[in-house]
Amino acid sequence: MKPDETTRRGDELRKAGDNAGAIEAYLEAIKSDEQPDGDVCLKLARCCERQQDYDSALHWLMQVVDSSDSFLHWQSAAASLTKLPAHDLQQGVKRTARAALLGSYTTSQLVPMIALAARRWGIALEVYEAPYGQYQQEILDPGSGLYAFEPDFVILALHAGELALPRFAESPAEAVATEVDRWRMLWEALDKRSTARMIMHNFALPFEAPMGNLTGRLPGARESMMRQVNHALGEAAGNAVSIVDCDRLSSVFGKARWFDDKYYHIAKQAVSLDSLPVLAKHTAAVLAADLGLSRKCLVLDLDNTLWGGVIGEDGLAGIRLGAGPEGEAFVAFQEYILELKNKGVILAVCSKNNDADAKEPFTQHPDMRIALDDIAIFVANWRPKSDNIKFIAETLNIGLDSLVFVDDNPAEREVIRQHLPEVEVITLPADPTGYRRALAGTLWFETASFTQEDAGKTEQYKAKAEIAQLETSAGSLEEFHRSLDMRAIIAPFDDLHLPRIVQLIGKTNQFNLTTRRHTMQVVREFMSDPDCVHFYLKLQDRFTDHGLVSMLIARRDGEVMDIDTFLMSCRVIGRTVEAEMLAQLCERAAAAGCAKLRGTYIPTAKNVMVKDLYSRFGFTEVAATGSVEEAETVWEYDLSAAGPIVNGFIEPLEDARDAA
Amino acid sequence: MPVTLHERLEEIFRTVLNDDQLSLSDDTSASDVEGWDSVAHINLMFSIESEFGIQFAGNELAEFKNVGELKRYLESRG
Repeated sequence: MKPDETTRRGDELRKAGDNAGAIEAYLEAIKSDEQPDGDVCLKLARCCERQQDYDSALHWLMQVVDSSDSFLHWQSAAASLTKLPAHDLQQGVKRTARAALLGSYTTSQLVPMIALAARRWGIALEVYEAPYGQYQQEILDPGSGLYAFEPDFVILALHAGELALPRFAESPAEAVATEVDRWRMLWEALDKRSTARMIMHNFALPFEAPMGNLTGRLPGARESMMRQVNHALGEAAGNAVSIVDCDRLSSVFGKARWFDDKYYHIAKQAVSLDSLPVLAKHTAAVLAADLGLSRKCLVLDLDNTLWGGVIGEDGLAGIRLGAGPEGEAFVAFQEYILELKNKGVILAVCSKNNDADAKEPFTQHPDMRIALDDIAIFVANWRPKSDNIKFIAETLNIGLDSLVFVDDNPAEREVIRQHLPEVEVITLPADPTGYRRALAGTLWFETASFTQEDAGKTEQYKAKAEIAQLETSAGSLEEFHRSLDMRAIIAPFDDLHLPRIVQLIGKTNQFNLTTRRHTMQVVREFMSDPDCVHFYLKLQDRFTDHGLVSMLIARRDGEVMDIDTFLMSCRVIGRTVEAEMLAQLCERAAAAGCAKLRGTYIPTAKNVMVKDLYSRFGFTEVAATGSVEEAETVWEYDLSAAGPIVNGFIEPLEDARDAA
Repeated sequence: MPVTLHERLEEIFRTVLNDDQLSLSDDTSASDVEGWDSVAHINLMFSIESEFGIQFAGNELAEFKNVGELKRYLESRG
């Protein structure tokens, strides 16, 4: 039977109530599809739900998200998701979060779709929908449903009709500034009453432009001012507010589809139903990035992925790179990959090749854009890719769920999907001219903020791999630490470093004693609390500048200095940074007149590496709650009896730039 | 066995309203079906437009009294 017929047979069985039979038929119909049809995925989800196989139902709902942008599919999948039992919904959840959605238009359909898209990131998102059009009242009234809900995020879904801009302004700058101030006031009002992070949709410029092509030459035209408002809001947002760039989205999607006047007039649907899945996807991606769930590393195949042909067979002169439509497409793909690297994505190579062959184009080919230096870890051998990818994750000390894999070979992609489901796999089209867009279309590398540390990330991870070698050659651990020539800037939090600090709080999973995901607002509160001690550490060694890699927040409680948050980036594990941090805390606690330190370990699925940290530094356990295996433990260190903790391997530095 | 207009319509209703047990007759109207509220109505009409490749006029959307009327409209559009 042809796939279409098999699907139809599934439909008949489903209507007859034979869900098991229908599932079998649907699976048969899609068995050779890498990305099965969204319609069939949805039917499978519904049959599985009926069979009370909720894990599979969830799996197929997530497949709908990947394979379809259709309103019908998304609306139905989103409704199905809300029907799954809460317990089964927890499968594979990385974070739970609460979001309040405030709209200037009808958002009934958007709300469940955002929850669906967020679930694809591993976020169990509970969403509160404010009454229609009430976004200002909800923010300004401390007694509103918004504040009763206690959200982690407030999503402001707006349309350009909300902008109070005249048709034409004599002094456009003034009109724009007034409008921007109005929105900033709302941000500030929310900030005062809640610790929630604001995610704002900016304004999609309308399809209509009465001034036509003249608009761009008339700063006073309404559409020109809208553009300025978007621009100014972006600048004002800084790191405090996240923005979903709806104007860009609507352009990419097509404004003729983004707006649907009929449904606006009938149902105040200011964003067309057609475009809601895309809007939901992007809103969820921004939210996920804010939660630190963006992927960190792109794992690249080589032959027919970075160049055309097989280097081991075709040789340097035989591979297609640079000249001709295909060769140009590979260059464009490489250049896009470098853009990702520049914003902080770590690059790794995983190729079935002889190592020398695989490296030859990188060192010898004139049209190669990616250099060996751009690659943090280069693995070319004949072992299964699933083993090599695991090795890459272990060496870089990041989770498999931080990786995205790109390979032209559907069989390799399938193996990784099967064996390493945590890894996201990009489905490349058969034609290399479509590679760049396939990569650019994924949202896995959505970034919440951009800091200097991000730009140099590959260098830092590369240095780490080199140090792994030095470690084996140095005689003793002590010798090794001395040979690194480590220096550090250690200083209290300041506004300059706040974005990086909040970023680390949001995404550090392993070396994190309490995993408290403080928002920027909460960190600011710590900073203004005179009883709080807070400092960060920026590490340099003779190989590299690691940037800001560790931070600690403690609060004085009588004679005890109580550690609220202590975390460290995994890329500097084994460098005595934690000892230096505790030594620094001892100094500061003593200066504040404290006799004791207190630390808490709150276990999570990922932070077992610091379970015994306090014990290693001579703390005594004073309390434990929960089961023996996963107990939350409290530790104390008696400063007056045991004396301060000292390190001595890291030289504290004064930095003129930092002092300023 | 070709899929009839009635079956296509029923499938859309089942998908939108998330109810595989739902069966439609020509007399079925919004008040007979659980969940067929104003939002669901918009979802239904938009999905029917997409699936059948047609466009209702703005004033037609709210006017179908029951499934039979909707079917006759769709038939008239070929």
